[in-house]
Amino acid sequence: MVKRKLGALEKVEADLPNLQHKIRRDPKSYIEDFRAQHYQYESHREIFMAAPTSATDTGIISLRELIDFISHVADCYPEITKDFPQQLMDILTQHHLVLERELREKIVGSLVLLRKKELVDSATLLQTLFPILITTPSKTLRALIFQKILMDLRTANVKTINHKLNRVMQTVLFNLVTSDRTSSKGLWAIKLVRELWKRQIWTDAKTVEVMKEACLSENEKVVVGGVRFFLGGDKEREEAEDESSDDEAIDIGQVKHQVGINKKTRKKAKSIEKARAAVKRKERKKNQPHPLNFSALHLLHDPQGFAESLFARHLQTAKSKLNLEQKLLVLQLVTRLVGLHKLHIIHLYSYFQKYLTPRQPSVTSFLASLAQATHDLVPPDVLEPLIMKIANEFVSEASASEVATAGLNAIREVCVRQPLAMNDTLLQDLVMYRKSKDKGVMMAARGLLSLFREVGPEMLKRRDRGKDASMGLRSGEKREKRFGEQETGGIEGIELLEQWKEEERKKRRAEKGLPSDAEDDEEEDEEDNWDAWNVEDDEDSDDSGGWIEVESDVEIELSDSEDEKEKDSSRPSKKAKQDGTATDEKSESKDDSKPESKFSTLATTRILTPADLAKLQELRTNAAVDALVPGNKSRKQNSNAARHVDDPLTAEEIEGLNALSAGKATREERIARAKEFKTDREDHKSVTAKRKERKESQGKSTTNKEKQRRKNLFMTLGKAKGKNKRSLVETRNVLRAHQDRQKRGGRRGNIGM
Amino acid sequence: MGSSTKKKKEKQKDFQKAKLKVGKARPKPENFTDTSFKSKSITLNQQSLTLSAPSSTSQFTHHLSLLTSRSDTQRRDSLSHLTTALSSRPTNSPPPQPTSVILPPLLPLLLDSSSSVRTQLLKLLRALPATDIQDHVAQILPYIRAGMTHLAPDVRLSAIDALSWLLSTAGPDVVACAGGWIKTLNCFLSVLGWHTAESAKWSANRASFGKAGAKGGGVVVRVLTVLAEFLHAGIAPQEDPTADADVDGYGEAGGPWVFPLVQPAANMVPVGTATPYLYLNLFGQPRDEEGEMYETREDRFRVFREKFMPAVERGLEGARQEGGETGRASVGVSKVLKVAVDYSC
Repeated sequence: MVKRKLGALEKVEADLPNLQHKIRRDPKSYIEDFRAQHYQYESHREIFMAAPTSATDTGIISLRELIDFISHVADCYPEITKDFPQQLMDILTQHHLVLERELREKIVGSLVLLRKKELVDSATLLQTLFPILITTPSKTLRALIFQKILMDLRTANVKTINHKLNRVMQTVLFNLVTSDRTSSKGLWAIKLVRELWKRQIWTDAKTVEVMKEACLSENEKVVVGGVRFFLGGDKEREEAEDESSDDEAIDIGQVKHQVGINKKTRKKAKSIEKARAAVKRKERKKNQPHPLNFSALHLLHDPQGFAESLFARHLQTAKSKLNLEQKLLVLQLVTRLVGLHKLHIIHLYSYFQKYLTPRQPSVTSFLASLAQATHDLVPPDVLEPLIMKIANEFVSEASASEVATAGLNAIREVCVRQPLAMNDTLLQDLVMYRKSKDKGVMMAARGLLSLFREVGPEMLKRRDRGKDASMGLRSGEKREKRFGEQETGGIEGIELLEQWKEEERKKRRAEKGLPSDAEDDEEEDEEDNWDAWNVEDDEDSDDSGGWIEVESDVEIELSDSEDEKEKDSSRPSKKAKQDGTATDEKSESKDDSKPESKFSTLATTRILTPADLAKLQELRTNAAVDALVPGNKSRKQNSNAARHVDDPLTAEEIEGLNALSAGKATREERIARAKEFKTDREDHKSVTAKRKERKESQGKSTTNKEKQRRKNLFMTLGKAKGKNKRSLVETRNVLRAHQDRQKRGGRRGNIGM
Repeated sequence: MGSSTKKKKEKQKDFQKAKLKVGKARPKPENFTDTSFKSKSITLNQQSLTLSAPSSTSQFTHHLSLLTSRSDTQRRDSLSHLTTALSSRPTNSPPPQPTSVILPPLLPLLLDSSSSVRTQLLKLLRALPATDIQDHVAQILPYIRAGMTHLAPDVRLSAIDALSWLLSTAGPDVVACAGGWIKTLNCFLSVLGWHTAESAKWSANRASFGKAGAKGGGVVVRVLTVLAEFLHAGIAPQEDPTADADVDGYGEAGGPWVFPLVQPAANMVPVGTATPYLYLNLFGQPRDEEGEMYETREDRFRVFREKFMPAVERGLEGARQEGGETGRASVGVSKVLKVAVDYSC
């Protein structure tokens, strides 16, 4: 019998991946086959659902394969598979405890796949997966589901923020945390929220509310999770952002170059397109305004209530189940809230009383927390006993140097925030420790001294006050701040701008050969400045008649009038016809001469142009950089004041320089510390070496000379052997040819072209 | 220089391929270790010393457990052993294990990849007592349906055969059990490719995915025959109204029902079924329309007319026009259909 010819379709092995591939290419023709497989799946599902626990291996495998197959092509036949997602969800929710592991994971994966194909919406998917995440005892399943949920939330928020979904999910999490305060299920909410916070997907108050509720839970794990979020979540977020901006630095030039050299394929061309797109995206990102991200602590609705209940629930009661470490975390959070929002929890300070002894474990953390809890609105008489206690317990000749250092540092940190808590006898005692032999103690005492030179020199002994402070005292510039007195706010760095302007003006005057303190042409250039920025605002032309009426823009008019007015008042030299202003001028100049009037009038007397604002920004950054340069002592001491309000005070800062205490460190430790500060050996390379390295790292080629130098000896040997046997004539010819070549610049010559 | 070339050669040696020659043993590698040994006698540590052969019941159980074995010859042999054990037992004696125990390991074999296993399985199923099967129809049917829509055409064919067997042993139960009517009909349509108008056309892509090559025509004929049987069991007019009348007229004691009782059987617990309240579905999953039980002929016919009539008629027309064996088989189905339609109209 003749062998029958097989059609192309019959030849292939009939398996699901093959069918899937074919369906992808031509869904219409294979609808019958798909329908058959769907019935197959239905029957297998029926068999399985009849007895989920006693399903056979082969049955499970075929069910798994069918689920995989159908979910991959479900988008081609939405009509046939409309019940499919719901069926999967049912199987998963009802039987996830008894399902075979691989089948379970396959179902989860298929559901996510269906979500990607948009056959299921995110809310349904999350509402299915989340309860399983909480209830399942399987670790692998939990990890998988957690990852999938996170991924889904991320993808849902990529293009635009999906407010609806976020709200639903946040409500679910909130309910999870609040419904049963004793269970540890809230941990999942915390984990999820923290991850999403880190990736800046959720940055709103509702998120913070979930964590707040977690902090007030009764399960210690949940509490610690919530507290840790408030203490470290924002830092984590910043770091994650830095990381993401650091990576994928694509050098498009290099990519182009490589494409020019290597074989040209479509893939390569695509890669260059991709690189270009990435660079463009990055550029756009750079130009975008920085998204306003409030820290979690700022987004809290009722910080006072929150801090109070935290304190009452976890610290004050004896019933609290937290251990010391956990309590410290809570305490840190409470005190940070108190310090940041300037809250009043009066019990908090007496609570500290018990813990302020050198024997207390991790007492530095307590000290740091105490300092954190202090702000300028705390009544000094609440703090005074605490400072007294620290001084008595910690700071004495008999106590170990670390202890004394920690005590002094803590006192200083408290006094930075509330100087009124210190009295002069105690201060003068403490300042005496600057004569201590121990370096750590000495430095700490000096810190305290320099602090009070700034904030309360009259409390110091006369000889300790120093030059600046005594002069300040005499002139009356340095006054003790009263309780609750607030500094008048201004624009940060405005005095720098003023100073800079002054200098510029002087320079210009000097160029023109005029006395440096006349001030008439300043206005002109300022007006030029304005003109450069907005055209409507031409004030000069009001005399000449080129007036442009801009009625619609009220704001500009307003600014115009103000400008005029202030010029009238402060700089009347141009419009001297107004007699009344002369007295004003006098008084003002008197004011200027007073050293006391530190407050800059620049911002109130004129409108800052955008150019001014740009300059201001520049000056500010310059000043910040200057402050960081070592050796600039007077600036350095202020670093504490310049610390950002959001930054926590850590135990390390309280421990301070006690590492410097002599005799404590072993030799190895000292070597290690010395190495820490040592600059890298790499920095001291020769210029050529550095240049070479750079060239290599950029993937550039070597010079001919280098090639010659690096040539393998064995390649040159043969020629060298032959050289010995040359006759004189040959040698001459060779030399001549060499000379000639050198002149021409190589074999091919360097001329022409 | 000399030394360097020597060294080079030595180094090269390690990387040279050893030449193999025909008829000569393969050179042993350098690190070869001789592990052969000699021994005077071989001792078996354990040896089965039971004198009596295992009883037939225990053998039966053992072979039942072997049905999940990996090797298909083993499965087939076990099946044939079970078949002989069942068929050789004296008439009217119960099988060594109850049917409810025998069936669960058997059913997955309906989808077995080896054809010899499946044919042997069919033999075994035929050897099972028919009365026991009736109570397990709902359990068997999903497997048969899975077989009917299997990717491999051979499995489809043997599933059709199994359905034919099931119809012959427990026809009324097959069409009346949960999901037995609509789902099975769907499977039939899918096997025949009659679901949509264009796929039922003779010019449509017949060489569909994974169709059996030479046996393709035979399959359709067989499917049509079984479809006729199925429809006959489902919607053909019942031929035994007299039997019902018997039940109507007389009580179990044999005496006629007294006057006020009219059709008492409708109000009695139905006889002849092990699960009389199954239709209430007290403990199972909630059923949808497809999985519902259609117990009476009228129900089934209504559903059939609503959902399947056009597709089946279209398909039958196509099959008739094809002629040959297929056409003849389609005539059988048409006849059943005609009788049913005539009866209900």
